[in-house]
Amino acid sequence: MKNNPKPFQYLKWSSRFLNFGYYLTTFPNFSYWALRLTRPLYVQRETFFNHKFRYAFLILGGGILPPEEIKAYHYGAKAFVDNMKNALKANENGKPVVWVEWILSSEIVNAFDAFPFNPETLNVFGNLSGQDVPSLLIEEAESAGFASEYCSAIKLTAGAYMLGQTPKPAAIIAGSHPCDTNVAAYQGIRHLTGAPVFFFDSPYWRDKDAFDYYEKNMWRLIDFLEKTLHQKINWERLKQIVDHENKFNFYMQEICEMMRAIPSPATMITPVFAWVVRELAIGDPNGTEMARRMYEVVKDRFKKGVGVVKKENIRVLWWNPPIAFFAYVFKWMEDEFGAVVVKDFIGDVQMPQIDTSSEKTMIRDMAKNHLYLAMARQCHGPVEFITQELEKAIDEYSPDCLIFAGHAGCKHGWAVIGIIKDLLKKRGLPSLFMNMDIMDQRHATEDDIKRWITEFFRSNGFV
Amino acid sequence: MKTILDETRELASSTHNPYLEEARKQGKKIIGYFCSYMPEEIIHAAGFVPYRMRAVESKGTTRADAFYSSINCTFVKLCFNKALNGDFAFLDGVVFLNGCDHSRRMYDNWRFAKIGPPFLHMFFAPHMINEAALDYFSLECSKLKSSIEKHFHISINNESLRHSINLYNQKRRLLAQIYALRKMKDVPIKASELLGVMLAVTAVPVERAIDILSNVKNYITGRVVSKPQDLRLFFSGGCIEEMDHLELIENCGAVIVADNICLGSRHFLDEIKNDGNPLQAIADRYLSHLSCPRMMGDFERRFNYLLDVRDEYGIDGIIIEKLKFCDIWGGEIYLHRTESKKRGLPLLALERELYGGGIGQIKTRVQAFLEKLKNKQATDENLVQAAGADYKPKIQ
Repeated sequence: MKNNPKPFQYLKWSSRFLNFGYYLTTFPNFSYWALRLTRPLYVQRETFFNHKFRYAFLILGGGILPPEEIKAYHYGAKAFVDNMKNALKANENGKPVVWVEWILSSEIVNAFDAFPFNPETLNVFGNLSGQDVPSLLIEEAESAGFASEYCSAIKLTAGAYMLGQTPKPAAIIAGSHPCDTNVAAYQGIRHLTGAPVFFFDSPYWRDKDAFDYYEKNMWRLIDFLEKTLHQKINWERLKQIVDHENKFNFYMQEICEMMRAIPSPATMITPVFAWVVRELAIGDPNGTEMARRMYEVVKDRFKKGVGVVKKENIRVLWWNPPIAFFAYVFKWMEDEFGAVVVKDFIGDVQMPQIDTSSEKTMIRDMAKNHLYLAMARQCHGPVEFITQELEKAIDEYSPDCLIFAGHAGCKHGWAVIGIIKDLLKKRGLPSLFMNMDIMDQRHATEDDIKRWITEFFRSNGFV
Repeated sequence: MKTILDETRELASSTHNPYLEEARKQGKKIIGYFCSYMPEEIIHAAGFVPYRMRAVESKGTTRADAFYSSINCTFVKLCFNKALNGDFAFLDGVVFLNGCDHSRRMYDNWRFAKIGPPFLHMFFAPHMINEAALDYFSLECSKLKSSIEKHFHISINNESLRHSINLYNQKRRLLAQIYALRKMKDVPIKASELLGVMLAVTAVPVERAIDILSNVKNYITGRVVSKPQDLRLFFSGGCIEEMDHLELIENCGAVIVADNICLGSRHFLDEIKNDGNPLQAIADRYLSHLSCPRMMGDFERRFNYLLDVRDEYGIDGIIIEKLKFCDIWGGEIYLHRTESKKRGLPLLALERELYGGGIGQIKTRVQAFLEKLKNKQATDENLVQAAGADYKPKIQ
């Protein structure tokens, strides 16, 4: 049992291992062969012997990610490592740590002399210490009274803090979207940590009034941080961050656009990986460099008409966020079935560019931009925000099927499941609906998911 | 002979009622709405009757299950099932609200199912109480007004809004007076009866509601329904509409004397100021009234309200409950638990399904809680006296 981990145990392990990954990927060809040759040791399932490295090896492509893409991941790993190290050393450096909830964005915190920290980070990186670690952290929060029906992402935040796995926040930034868990759980986290919390309130619609309202939230956030951190915002730094963000978004959006091609020159794991980088370190030059390199690789394949897999058998739409404890599922589908996820819910980037000509335009556009972030974009308003995106994906990405990763915490998503099913039926798209929790394998394990997907592909004659 | 409380119980037990029929004959439209953040005054000022949506008489969730899932709340599914069965066919419009994830999706499912009525409006209430939120909420109130005007080809002027504010304030005052009677040692009305009153007065025209409330007030003055040994409880939760449920709690040896529920204090506390811009005044009141936990960062105010009424109403214990899959009240329970523990306030947290049965389990839990409270009282008061000043109670 890992009931009493040492302080920051999981974060430190993540940081160390990602650091190792960063150095390893300095030599992409070597990393590729190392991952490829050791593949039999870890690819099948997690065991006592491989649990400390399996997840890391899998997110680095499990030996089937080509060296040129590994090189791009190298920069992403650096962005992760820096973020984690900064958070771990914040106390020593006397700098405040500001928690920025996972669906929000950290540009504005970065424009202060403070470290933004994504408190949901161990939902993904906790798996580096073993697939059961996130569940242990979640259980801790549940046993302290956090509602079991909450989205596990935020339960883990609470559990990790209770067990001393995340740094104490000087301030917290939370929001009312994408779901009620955020509304409720962050009130509990405020109580738990005693830190001042800024709550973003997202509007329901996506019109001028809504954007204006969200913009006012942004200005209030600046005011809140200036008062809480006793600093002034550094507008010049913010401009640099936003310049990087614009480039990052451009590259990622281009990749997503190119994935319409048949065969698809990329798999959605690339934008999903970039999304995690975005979550932790938007504006970091390493993140931008990663995006640029990813873009170059995908563009090259696109020009040559080459697919990410040798033989593309199935084009998949993946709805809902990817499975954190089994992030390898996209690559697994490619490897097993030649099934490529060409569009998903999280990695897909559809963000407007931010005008950096003045403070006013930056904040105005950033507000709009944030409402187009993954999850905010689909979840804060009427069902048309979901159905229109789905319809567009069906029209433009030529999918053969859809996999709905039905996350247990996502009750508003489940509340329109009838509408989604009906739409897919009308469009004649075979669909798999999985009852699971994307962060907590107590609901469904990696083996369950593999079995469901295999049966789905077989029963629909795809394989 | 039928008393006014029998009448309100009857009104509370049915979806439709003769007062709505009468209003319809007078040419008034009936507009359904969800949530205590929806300003009834705007609908009333249009010459219409606001009707609070309810799950009572629902025959299950079979049809709604095709739209929702097994992890969605029963209140919403029961209401939607009724809509699919045509039980709300008497409505001329429905105003939805982003009260929670389950209920905001009703707007989507309702439109998608094409079950009418033709006027369906989504009303947005912010999750924060601050200046920006108030501006946005005022705008939403104004949009609701325009939407009604446009759809029904009518005009709502400031005078009619002021008139509606006066009427609703009158209703609020009467409710506050009735609620205040429960401060007395001898409680004149049980919470189960009062819930019936609340359900009744949110399903009839406000003019009739005022008559009902005046009659209730007269009827209960001098009445005693509590027993001297009854424990006095504070009750907190979201969608509660089963009078039987509160009766079950009270029959275990308690009387609920104060609350923070949708159809309780949240409905009538804080009047609307009737000077200046009426829409602004409406927005002011509805955004800043005693909050539901959907409002972020306002827990201190909610808990302080509990502490205030605790002294005022002589509260012995707190029951807080949530419907299954409700994140919002799940969060509130955590906060209440930790804060109550810190302050030594006895608290029982219940989780259940609306009209979901489980009476035996609930009864056992309530009985055990009340027994513990009684033992604590005995320990604190009698045993301490018997043992002298050094005695330390074992039950904390």
